[in-house]
Amino acid sequence: MKHLLLIVMLAASLVGGAQRVVVTSSTAILNAGETGFYPKLNAQGDMLLYSDVDAHGLKMLNLTTRDVAAISDQDGAGFFANWSSDGNVYYVTSKVDAKSHLVYRTGMRYDMARRTNDVVLEAQHGAVLPAVGTQGIAIKGKKHSFASAQHMGTVVSTQGSQVIINVNGNERRFSPVESYAGYLWPSLSPAGDKVAFFAAGRGIVVIDLDGNILAELGNYEMPAWYDNDYLVAQNTTDDSYQFTSSQIMLLKADGSWCHELTSPTSMTMQPTAGGGKIAYTTIDGNITLITIDINQ
Amino acid sequence: MKKIHYTLALIMTVAVIATGISRAQVVKPHVYINPGHGGHDSDDRNVTIYPYATGDTAGYWESNSNLKKGFALNNCLRAKGYTTSMSRVTNTSNDDLALSTIVALCNSSGADIFYSIHSNATGVTSRRNHILGLYRGPTGSPVIANSDVLASKLAQRLQVNEAAVWTSNYQLAGDFTFYPDWNNAGLGVLRGNMAVSMLSEGSFHDYIPETYRLMNDNYCWMEGWNFSLGADDYFGYNDFGKGAIAGNLRDNRMPRVRNDFIMFGDDNREPVSNATVVLLASDGVTGLDTCYTDNLYNGIYAFKMVDPGTYYVKVEQPDYYGQTKQVTIEANKSTYCNFDLSRVRSTPPEVVNFAPVWHEGDAPLKANTPVVLEFNWDMNTEATEAAFHIEPAVEGTFRWEDSNYRMIFEPTDAYDVNTLYTVTLTTDAKHGGGMTMQEPFQLQFKTTYRKHLQVIDIFPHEGDQVHYKNATIELRTDSMLNNSYYYDRIVVTDKDGNALTYNRRSTKSGKADEPFGYIRIPIATAMTVGDEYTLTIAKEMDDTAGIHLPETIVHKFVAVDAGEEKPEATVIEGFEDAGAFSMVAVTDAASATMSASTDHLFGSRSLQVKYNADPCGAYHFISEALSGTTITNADELSLHVNGDMSNVLVSLELESTDAAHEYAKIDFGKINFHGWRYITGKGQLKAGKSYKIESLMIANSDEELVKSAAIKFDNLLKGAKSGVAGDVNGDGVVNSADVTALYKFILNNDSSTTVNGDQNGDGVINSADVTAVYGIILGTANAPAVTAIGNVATKPKVKVGPIPSSDYIVASAGDYIQGVELYDMNGRLVVRNGGNYVNVGNIAAGAYILRVYTTTTATSHRVAVRH
Repeated sequence: MKHLLLIVMLAASLVGGAQRVVVTSSTAILNAGETGFYPKLNAQGDMLLYSDVDAHGLKMLNLTTRDVAAISDQDGAGFFANWSSDGNVYYVTSKVDAKSHLVYRTGMRYDMARRTNDVVLEAQHGAVLPAVGTQGIAIKGKKHSFASAQHMGTVVSTQGSQVIINVNGNERRFSPVESYAGYLWPSLSPAGDKVAFFAAGRGIVVIDLDGNILAELGNYEMPAWYDNDYLVAQNTTDDSYQFTSSQIMLLKADGSWCHELTSPTSMTMQPTAGGGKIAYTTIDGNITLITIDINQ
Repeated sequence: MKKIHYTLALIMTVAVIATGISRAQVVKPHVYINPGHGGHDSDDRNVTIYPYATGDTAGYWESNSNLKKGFALNNCLRAKGYTTSMSRVTNTSNDDLALSTIVALCNSSGADIFYSIHSNATGVTSRRNHILGLYRGPTGSPVIANSDVLASKLAQRLQVNEAAVWTSNYQLAGDFTFYPDWNNAGLGVLRGNMAVSMLSEGSFHDYIPETYRLMNDNYCWMEGWNFSLGADDYFGYNDFGKGAIAGNLRDNRMPRVRNDFIMFGDDNREPVSNATVVLLASDGVTGLDTCYTDNLYNGIYAFKMVDPGTYYVKVEQPDYYGQTKQVTIEANKSTYCNFDLSRVRSTPPEVVNFAPVWHEGDAPLKANTPVVLEFNWDMNTEATEAAFHIEPAVEGTFRWEDSNYRMIFEPTDAYDVNTLYTVTLTTDAKHGGGMTMQEPFQLQFKTTYRKHLQVIDIFPHEGDQVHYKNATIELRTDSMLNNSYYYDRIVVTDKDGNALTYNRRSTKSGKADEPFGYIRIPIATAMTVGDEYTLTIAKEMDDTAGIHLPETIVHKFVAVDAGEEKPEATVIEGFEDAGAFSMVAVTDAASATMSASTDHLFGSRSLQVKYNADPCGAYHFISEALSGTTITNADELSLHVNGDMSNVLVSLELESTDAAHEYAKIDFGKINFHGWRYITGKGQLKAGKSYKIESLMIANSDEELVKSAAIKFDNLLKGAKSGVAGDVNGDGVVNSADVTALYKFILNNDSSTTVNGDQNGDGVINSADVTAVYGIILGTANAPAVTAIGNVATKPKVKVGPIPSSDYIVASAGDYIQGVELYDMNGRLVVRNGGNYVNVGNIAAGAYILRVYTTTTATSHRVAVRH
């Protein structure tokens, strides 16, 4: 209750602009003593994937029934786990080869209907990354790739300092801002007309499907679309060794407004959004689900 | 057919080998390189070193050296066929990527291993230099398998760096173990990192010789190269056919010129800057490569990516004799070859400056004046010290400065007073190049009359009893003290040898215009009543002229409670009301003021008297309570005084109540102490007479240092006199009357019956009979002697404490305590306990009365609760 009150008070203090945000509910969703990291809400906001602090293993929480299902106990399973439009869960596991010491990564699917795990992309060396599309999900490897559907709709991904936008099989690559270290966390807006991604050293950038910059939202991380106009993101500071502050921000996609959903000292991080809900965790793994009301 | 089988087998074997080679050549690992955070901001670890100002981006920044190492590693790995990624290639604030961003970049890159390149800092005045490798998880149980192996492989490659000076071998640890207070949060760049990952603290960048090395590009390159060798070792590669050689050029004997920092081992010697280093072919003639040491006090050279083989490294520098060494460079290995260079010293040594400069007729010098000789070359210290002679002989020590260009001789204690000394440096003195002096050198000086710092007074004195709270120590000397090392040289330790802490802000010391020196230091720690403490003042304690004490001073003293209750005595004057006193000056020269002070032992106030009696004088202080009191020679008067070492005299002035109106005096002595003290007065009152107290008097003593005083008074007590053993009635003789008096006191018997004085039946009546009666009371055959009725311990003494208290108040007594009760100031019982303590943790702050019940008594004590 104290936590909720704090959030409501913070929400009442706008960073700028005329919008007012009210946190209408805030719930700690894990059982006492349990921790979770890398939360990922599905589009409906009724299911949540989460992992442990090192992305080891993957669990799924039904937010309606509170049932928890263990999907994987493999290394790395939590880091790139995502929901597909087919309702299944796709994730990537990694394993160090005992002889060569090389890391091999495997594309995995958790079939929701059969409740089974399938290897969809055999173990390979090098980067293996998911690319979420409006009609499916792809898992791209250096040598081989996988697509969950023949027609993926609009798919966005990043590679190095390029955003790759594939619309119905027509792939275009854009580098709208300079970033030596590269781009991360690409995501398509719910309406499918905008792409948000993070450019290292630059921050969150919103572009249209032609690669035109619509807005730069500031040096926040892990953008996730709340709705077609707003995103949630993480804002951290550190001393080069450990986090010194971390909070969740609500950002307007046109760059005109931002708002602190949690305080910098809350150590909240790794936001996800879906179905009008927002979830995030804390540095010690307390996953919280909140709903907000934005008065414009 | 058999042949065909062999052929097929051979083909298959070759194919397998070829496949293996192909795989090894094609599937090279991917290394993610994180050269720490970027920028020149407050978190980017700037170390200020000459000649750079703090914040100068050209000076040392960890972000600079990390990036240099990262570039070197990146280039080395690429040359070896690895795939690499770097989190930054510039050094701006925009390169300050968040920790979670770096992790995500690594995970997205598909890297096999992750190196986070850093250097370390101690953050305190002590310094060290070693390698630290950290991986995620508890030590020995990395979260990502093999991360500890990766860290170990790297550390072994870094440790072979002989151009550095290491203070210990490398350390490997899991970050959960290394940062136990982080609650397993661990290092941010390893948290969630799916590569085999580690963070390297390659050396300590605030160890200044290392700081200078980290300014050198070649030195950073070598660390990057060693990182690449660590990666090779981890993946089992040794197919890169190149090696590298590096080293450190140092003067072979001259200490570092710039030396205002901590140094270890060879770092104490001057690095050779601006040297030309040539890599020669195995013929020793053909030059293959050339590099140069920079001018940043590190002496580092390196030759990179060298084919394995035998070479010569030739070093040239105009101020040094050249040197060439044969070296063997191996593939996939770092070779280190350091050079200790000998300076070119082309002329004989001579004294070019000296001190003291003294001529006959000049004023004599203080008895600890150092002899300073400056030379034209850095000297061979051993030979030069052997060539040094002083007459008359005096024990002393040598010190060398300015890289052995300056020799300083200091007497261990002091020279003799009023003595002419002659210093001779013979021609045996040599410089670092081995040439001797051509002419001997000589100087003379005469010493003054003063050899040592003289102590006027010290508090506590040996054997003193010192009030346990707010104690103050004081050293008073015949000259102004050097205030640089007070707290190192004056130490108070408890019985276990632990130093007590001082209230440094309240320390007072002598002013330049005062005729003597003093240092007055309040002790912050409350002492334990009954414990012995030791005051030690080191011999090195000196005055502003550098004259020190003749020897170390050690005083033992005991902590007491000057405010201990004296239930056997009555309070004549509590000094609670300053307004109740009037004062009368004895001479016009004196002045005084009175005020109430909250620094008290009893009640709520004491009386503070500020007194100025320069050059002489005295003051009387009079109150109704004092003048309404009469005493006899059987009475003992005791006063609680808070002293200030002013050496004023305190006494009570008396007048007999008979017609003779004889003057008498009770002395409380000289106030030569600090803090509260319980003082029993001394006086010669005539037997059979009674005396009326006239006043309390403060007067000058004959101490010339007395100028002013600020002393406080609390309870003046009247009790039975402690006198001759057995003389319990105080009439000056021991007889049956004393035995009877003791009986009556014990039995509370007012009858006039006398008892047998010879209690022990030995035929004589003396103090032994009185003691025997006391033994009956105490139930022991070994009762102490009794000197007054007031000394008879018929009641247990009860103590309570601490006051104030926030948790427990505990009572103690020489008797069994049956229980305690805490009452508020309105008399309401607050809490009762059947033990000897009461828990006040949940009781409101304020004043209370604690009632203590023993098997024989019930006593009340004012206590306080404070939270």
